[in-house]
Amino acid sequence: MFGKALSYDSQWDFANSQSVAENQRWILSAMQNHGQGLITMLWRLLANEQDVCDAYQNTFLQLAHHEGGKKPQNVKAYIYRTANNVAISMLRRRIIERKNLNKPIAAGDTFNSPAEEFDSKDLQENLRSCIAQLPEHLRNVITMRDLAELSYEQIGRILGISAGTARVYRCKAVRLLTVWMCKEEKL
Amino acid sequence: MIHTKVNNKCRQIRAWLYNATNRYFGPEAHWLQKHIMNCPRCQRRFASYGRVNLALSLLKSQPHQNDLLIRSNTQAIDVLKHSLRNIPKAQKLRTIVPEPMLAVRWKKCAYTAVSMTACIMVVILMKIGIFTSMDKFQTKSQKIIRQYYASNVGQDLADELFPENPEKPHAKNPDGTLTA
Repeated sequence: MFGKALSYDSQWDFANSQSVAENQRWILSAMQNHGQGLITMLWRLLANEQDVCDAYQNTFLQLAHHEGGKKPQNVKAYIYRTANNVAISMLRRRIIERKNLNKPIAAGDTFNSPAEEFDSKDLQENLRSCIAQLPEHLRNVITMRDLAELSYEQIGRILGISAGTARVYRCKAVRLLTVWMCKEEKL
Repeated sequence: MIHTKVNNKCRQIRAWLYNATNRYFGPEAHWLQKHIMNCPRCQRRFASYGRVNLALSLLKSQPHQNDLLIRSNTQAIDVLKHSLRNIPKAQKLRTIVPEPMLAVRWKKCAYTAVSMTACIMVVILMKIGIFTSMDKFQTKSQKIIRQYYASNVGQDLADELFPENPEKPHAKNPDGTLTA
């Protein structure tokens, strides 16, 4: 009797897991459709492969647990916005760590001449830290436009704004970055 | 239908306005360049814009390892539910390699395709041209020879040798009977 109940239980578990797999297949589809673009954006923002993997994993974990496994209305928008937020949090943490250590963090694995490498790496790190300081609405636009290379129309759809507004936000973001990068250079 | 047309026109006008504004007020406008040459403040501003653009280009130009997508997918799939991890799609994602975008892939073939189309067009045009000129050449030469015969031998003989309508050797009578 007990054995029979156990077998029914295992059958129920199997059927349940099958239905879960069916219900959440869209997560894998999202990974297939947007994974590459997401990796490009994260790599350009973080420039560290382990950080990229962690941010990517975190993004899909959040997607899988969104409202108890419910599919968001716009999956692409959810993924890009979450990845952006996760990456910026990591970037900010890294900037604080760097400030505490008071030395630049090695970002990539490519090698140039020492002078060139220092200059370009410094410039990139400077830009990253400035991007992390931008207000959310401007930061989202600049990362999606310049790092993920999405069109203004796509950005508009993701952020729920018009393409024209996205253009204006990017312009404002670049203006702010220009001022801040100049200030940091003087410091 | 009318609504769509209006929208398309709106879009065209918007694009045209954007291009025109860029042409006359963009960074490559002649008057702006002329001003920047003589204004140290604008020179500084322009240099800072250039610096931001350079930094953005540097970020874009850094390549990542080819297997980063595989590693990221594997790591992300490993934290999903057991039932999802084992389906074939998940297995496929663990081995997926990044591919260039469709536009980039087609860009390489586009040049070849355009060259081939141009070659085919040239051949077609040449063929059409040759056939047309052959016809013209034949008609003109026949006319010249007919004129020569008419002036030297006589109009009757020329008409007999070179009839006006060579396609219709037998003229039809009004009653439908054929004459030789």
